[in-house]
Amino acid sequence: MSNRTPALRRLIGRPVSAYDQKSAMLFLAPMMVILTVVAVFPILYSFWISLFDLKLTRPHRAPFVWLDNYAHIFQDSMFWDSVGRSTSFTLMSVSAIMFIAMLMALLLNEEFRGRRILSAILLIPWAIPYVANGLMWKWIYDSGYGALNGLLFQLGLIDKYMVMLGDVQKTMLLITNSFVWKEVPLATILLLVTLKSIRADLYSAAKVDGANVWQRFVHITLPALTPGFALVMIYETMMAIRHFDLFFILTEGGPADASHVVAWQVYVETFRKLAFGTGAALAYIMAIVTFTLAFFIIRSTSRKL
Amino acid sequence: MSNIWTEGSSRRDFLKMTATAGVAGSGLLALPGHAQAAPLNFYTWSAAVDTVKSHLGAFEAKTGIKVNYNNAPWAQYRDTMVTKFVGKAPLDVLWVSDSWLPEWADAGWLAPVNNFPDLMKYNAEADDFSTQSMQYKGKQYGLSYYTDYMAFFYDEEKLKKAGIKEPPSTWDELVQQSLKIKAAGISEYPMMLPMARESWLIEFLTAMVYSNGGGFTDASGAAIMSDPKKGAVQALQWIVDAVNKHKIISPACVETGELNGLKSFSSGNHAFALLSRYRIRTLNDPKQSQIAGHVKQALMPAGVGGSHATVGWMRFHGMTAQAAADKTRAANAAKLIEWFGGKADGQYRFQKMLFNDIGSGFAVKELFKDPEVQASYAKYSDMAMFEKQQQFARKKDVITRWFGEWDEVNGSAWQSAVIGKSTAAEALKKSAQAWNDLRKQV
Repeated sequence: MSNRTPALRRLIGRPVSAYDQKSAMLFLAPMMVILTVVAVFPILYSFWISLFDLKLTRPHRAPFVWLDNYAHIFQDSMFWDSVGRSTSFTLMSVSAIMFIAMLMALLLNEEFRGRRILSAILLIPWAIPYVANGLMWKWIYDSGYGALNGLLFQLGLIDKYMVMLGDVQKTMLLITNSFVWKEVPLATILLLVTLKSIRADLYSAAKVDGANVWQRFVHITLPALTPGFALVMIYETMMAIRHFDLFFILTEGGPADASHVVAWQVYVETFRKLAFGTGAALAYIMAIVTFTLAFFIIRSTSRKL
Repeated sequence: MSNIWTEGSSRRDFLKMTATAGVAGSGLLALPGHAQAAPLNFYTWSAAVDTVKSHLGAFEAKTGIKVNYNNAPWAQYRDTMVTKFVGKAPLDVLWVSDSWLPEWADAGWLAPVNNFPDLMKYNAEADDFSTQSMQYKGKQYGLSYYTDYMAFFYDEEKLKKAGIKEPPSTWDELVQQSLKIKAAGISEYPMMLPMARESWLIEFLTAMVYSNGGGFTDASGAAIMSDPKKGAVQALQWIVDAVNKHKIISPACVETGELNGLKSFSSGNHAFALLSRYRIRTLNDPKQSQIAGHVKQALMPAGVGGSHATVGWMRFHGMTAQAAADKTRAANAAKLIEWFGGKADGQYRFQKMLFNDIGSGFAVKELFKDPEVQASYAKYSDMAMFEKQQQFARKKDVITRWFGEWDEVNGSAWQSAVIGKSTAAEALKKSAQAWNDLRKQV
């Protein structure tokens, strides 16, 4: 409270009385109670569950196993394979999202005819729910009648329909593509907002100094975009690590284990095996990794945010 | 206690009385003996909902027993039910898949029905495999909802075009005929076998393994799937060769589920298919199939040293332990189970309704002789073949408490072999290892 009091004092512009503090606490209390019930309690309770060998289908025996669930997960080669897949999915998708979103933002930052229409069209993938997005891509990728095969065939790029999601070489790339398609609009908006905040006189001064387009991009635009990039990187990294919907709809972790990522493993443990203890432990590991990554990204880019 | 009608009663007294009356009215203060008046709770997955409702209406009218009916989608049914069991939600009668029986029975959620002679008497009129599919550790847990099996279909017209007179009776013959059809340019991938990771996969795999004369486990429940002479290795090797060597099955089979397989076959892309028997109705329906009228059922091709065996499955009406704990509720629940799984007014009415509405199979032998059923089936298939193949149907030999966990590993292992990431022997060794580990743990 002692740390908060000066801030409160600055905010209300006069000394803070005990009455003010009590009032503030009173007004905050309902929300604190709700947050405790819907957020804090489930978080703590799920950690408690992760310390038990709890399976819903074995209701009469749920021994307390300390950190055994965590130990088993770390000893499981399947877990480390799925970590590898989640990592490559995250790296591929976040890099692609940032690159494509930057190009789109640069384009939409220019004045040209139809810019508003293009901006509106750009938002469509963002507006589509993830499940609908997954089902749409499932149709597009279908090896028998999919639109992608049809397009490639019509263009003469293939002489017969290819196996798409069933081909382990293509599976993760295709899922990444669907994820990128859905996420690019939001990233574009974030970068566009950052671009709009760059002062025009910087470009004018650079032109006067003889800087060409490339030099202006490298020395003015890119550095100015850093806060936007940081935001996009944090948000999309968290989204990619935790992403589940497309893996569920498109491949269910297959073929074989080609798309068995950590988020899929959490689902399998929790809802297929109904092993809530292991599922909670896995979810905790995933949450800790996500927060750790976010922490380091924020720390390394905090000065630019 | 003060009387609220007397002049001196307070507002607090009035509120107390009102609250008590409300609680009593809601049944919370009802005595245990009054439980008989409470309606039964019946839960199913979302199939044949209108048929169920109509049959339920007849039950209520006939018996005066009220029933609360609810359903959940098949994909979420197991999770939903397990959550309800754990949360002690009111449940009396429900649909159960044979795959979940050991899990639910061992957890104490389902009650055996052996003590109800009115239910047990129907076993005499049912196919053995279907009755066995409802039994666990010597006890029976319900009566049939529907039963069916994995069937082998062929497109007669495509075979004729390729100059083939008879459908294959062995898997080797199927390869030869497929190569002929492929060479004639009639179909690029003559055989359709769905191998996507879904709940249907184990049915396809088991049918292949049984027809190769083996099984996943032996009579004691030990894993035999990695034994090269026990069917599974031969079956998987056949699939691997069919995909990669002969190229008669599309490599996209690992992303093709049962429903997409049905669509692909009914679009005329293939000459042969493994599908659920009841799909024949769709396949020969001109509104739903481009090869309507040409699809025939044949006996499951046999592997070397194998037979025409196939896998059958059972979905049945079970009684919960909760219902069984109360004599009156148990008796009412048994009546409801009999109404649906046995005879209603002296006839297997519900099974006939289901057959006529959606073409689903039945375990009752006498229905094969029913003129109405025969006439209905003759419109799109051959009743004699339906019955003949059903006699070769066997229940799955992997239905255990650890089935769900093993199924994850097994499905992945078979797919690994098909896409060339492992050999058939390695894949089945992994599957057997997982089975043995889980068995030891449980």
